[in-house]
Amino acid sequence: MFRWKATAAALAVVALTLSGCAATDDSTNTASPSLVISTIIAPNSFSTTQAEWGNRSLFYQSVYDTLLLQTAEGTIEPFLATSYTYNSDNTVLTLAIRDDVNFTDGTHLTAGIVKQNLDRFKSGGGPYSTDLLNVASVDAPDDKTIVITLSQPDPAMVSYLAKEAGLVESPATFDAADAATNPIGSGPYVLDTASTVTGTSYVFTKNPKYWNPDLQHYDKLTIKVISDPTAAVNAIKAGEANAVRLPNSLNFPEVEAAGWSLNLNELDFEGLLLLDRAGTQNPALADVRVRQAINYAIDRPGLLQALQQGNGDVTTQVFKATSAAYDPALDNAYPFDTSKAKALLAQAGYANGLTISMPSTVVLGATSFSIIAQQLADVGITVQYTDTAPENYISDMVAPKYPAVFMALEQNPDWQLIQFMLSPTATFNPFKSSDATTEELISAIQHGDTATQAAKAKELNTYIVDQAWFAPFFRVKSSFASDAQTSVTVMPTNASPAIYDFKPKG
Amino acid sequence: MTRFILRRLISGAVLIFVISGIAFVLLYASGGDIARRILGRNASAELVSQKASALGLDRSLWAQYTDWLSHAVRGDFGRSWFTGELVATGVTSRLAVTLSLIIGATLLAAIVALVLGLLAATRGGWVDRAVQVVSVLGFAIPGFLVALALVLVFAVGLKWFKATGYIPITTSFTGWVSSVTLPILALALVVVAALAQQIRGSVKDTLNRDYIRTLRARGLGPARIVGKHVLRNAGGPALAVLAIQFIGLLGGAVIVEQVFAIPGLGQLAVNSTVKGDIPVVMGLVTVTAIVVVVVNVIIDIAQAAINPKVRLS
Repeated sequence: MFRWKATAAALAVVALTLSGCAATDDSTNTASPSLVISTIIAPNSFSTTQAEWGNRSLFYQSVYDTLLLQTAEGTIEPFLATSYTYNSDNTVLTLAIRDDVNFTDGTHLTAGIVKQNLDRFKSGGGPYSTDLLNVASVDAPDDKTIVITLSQPDPAMVSYLAKEAGLVESPATFDAADAATNPIGSGPYVLDTASTVTGTSYVFTKNPKYWNPDLQHYDKLTIKVISDPTAAVNAIKAGEANAVRLPNSLNFPEVEAAGWSLNLNELDFEGLLLLDRAGTQNPALADVRVRQAINYAIDRPGLLQALQQGNGDVTTQVFKATSAAYDPALDNAYPFDTSKAKALLAQAGYANGLTISMPSTVVLGATSFSIIAQQLADVGITVQYTDTAPENYISDMVAPKYPAVFMALEQNPDWQLIQFMLSPTATFNPFKSSDATTEELISAIQHGDTATQAAKAKELNTYIVDQAWFAPFFRVKSSFASDAQTSVTVMPTNASPAIYDFKPKG
Repeated sequence: MTRFILRRLISGAVLIFVISGIAFVLLYASGGDIARRILGRNASAELVSQKASALGLDRSLWAQYTDWLSHAVRGDFGRSWFTGELVATGVTSRLAVTLSLIIGATLLAAIVALVLGLLAATRGGWVDRAVQVVSVLGFAIPGFLVALALVLVFAVGLKWFKATGYIPITTSFTGWVSSVTLPILALALVVVAALAQQIRGSVKDTLNRDYIRTLRARGLGPARIVGKHVLRNAGGPALAVLAIQFIGLLGGAVIVEQVFAIPGLGQLAVNSTVKGDIPVVMGLVTVTAIVVVVVNVIIDIAQAAINPKVRLS
């Protein structure tokens, strides 16, 4: 009898202790001005030379400021630089630097420090050091002025300065051994290195001397890294975060059922990149009719339903819906039509079919590859897959080892997209496809004013769709879900919202 | 006994050396374009070749391995190619997390399995059948399903424990308990299933031995017979199974760590392998090999301690 009593008492103590600890968990305490965000990937390093935007921007924006600011409306505004102006031929960019900013180690921000940051970013060998490829020189004629001279016009330069290339860190970290884990910036928050577990959970406290307190909406900020979709949904259901980046769109109904809001963004498109447009590996792909036939062979609404449970919008263009190049009519340039596809193949001399080799990889989902092969087989195109290790998929793609590939790519702002997928030097144009029309349009965009850039980008988009350089399927909906206490405004040009756009409601 | 332990430790060291060598060759042979992966997909070919040279990847495999080994024996496993974090720091901090899960799961499983196994063997009847059913279910239900069910009931529903994340014991004891309890339960189930069956079988077998009948005839009570004589003989095989299960949990923890978003070795291994962060993978392989060797030595000592006959062999 005694034993039973002792056991019962012990169980009661354990239960009380555990329920007590659950109740004091700070992440669920809505009265506290703290924010817990969960995202899917950790930064490799806090050193600005290694910085990457996308899903990692939150970490950098918390501790650093950028020279310019990209708003949720898609505009570029002053930030550490109070103004920016180009000369007449868009090759000299002059920035005026604020004089009321200090780093958290007390160092005062000067143009000289900005110059050192820009020079280090360009030569630092980081994943985005190519942002500053067109920068010929950076000068600081006085403490408040920066002059960036470009070797050729770069319409994306101001956008880069609002992202990774524009981050400014204290000179104290330039040669510090712990630069990767102990950032010193002038941003709204300071990394609490003692409470942070690298790669897993990052804790930030409010920078008490921040120059722009209007952007500090919380006293404490925690960014957790949860890449597993199930764990992300569990964190939502258990109330262990206020805002969660969902790794995919498959759990949308569950998240909404938990009383959370979905803040949707269409950044990526999925589809086929028909890379070998000159037919050097597969002569058939040199014929525009074959590339168009592939586009007609794809049942986009069916694929969207099968692969994304309908979460997304079908499209046949690679430019995003908020860009100047976008044309709604091009979302349905190639409606699903197998007889038209077969007819085009026959006209091109492939009435008896053809074979295309492509890589496949487990990371992009086995279903995608089998459905694509099935749909192309229905019009007489045989896909020969070579299974590729995930870590080699992109290397093989850009090598280039395959005439066509299935891929999910981000839809960057127009000039960046051109540099990323269309220009002869673009990473995702590995066969260096080019012709007189694209060359002329790209040059006009590079050298033109804003109105010309918009008009020519639209022309370029129409031409690329007509030439069927790609066979896009749909734009994928990604989401940053938020609880009832938190408002989130997504960025049209980035996977993560800006850290300043997470706000307490009410 | 000292000699026995020394011999085991030396053969363990040789094993670690061989494993690290094989792992190094396999990892570097299948490495792919590492420099490009580090620099990202926008990097130019020139930058990529500069990076490869900076990492020493243009040297021969032998030169790279001897360099790695000479540092590794001094405890320097280098830095992660991607994060710049010291491999030794990264691996040991995560090892502590994983070990707290699998040691907790093993201890819990050992106690539960001992009780269940003994009950099944000594009581027989419906108790025995119930334990058998529990064991089969433990084997049949995948660990991640158990983990999900536990999260839904105890974290999402009752809010007794945390659904995600890990709180170090040094930060808060109750926080630590709330973050590790569910993963430990999920991991322990499979071990209980394996071990309870093993203990049941060994105890039943020992109970049928002649010397037990003799002990009974001399008037010894059942508790004394089981506690002092049966368990000594049945304990050896059970400990061996426990060691195998413990080592198995090093791999089994991967899924549970993912479901609970716990920063353990499993998560680090998966992330580093997918990225191709070879210094980290090498650190993980070496540390895992060390843990396996140490666990085996400890089990050998424990077996010798509970059953002197083992020392003779």
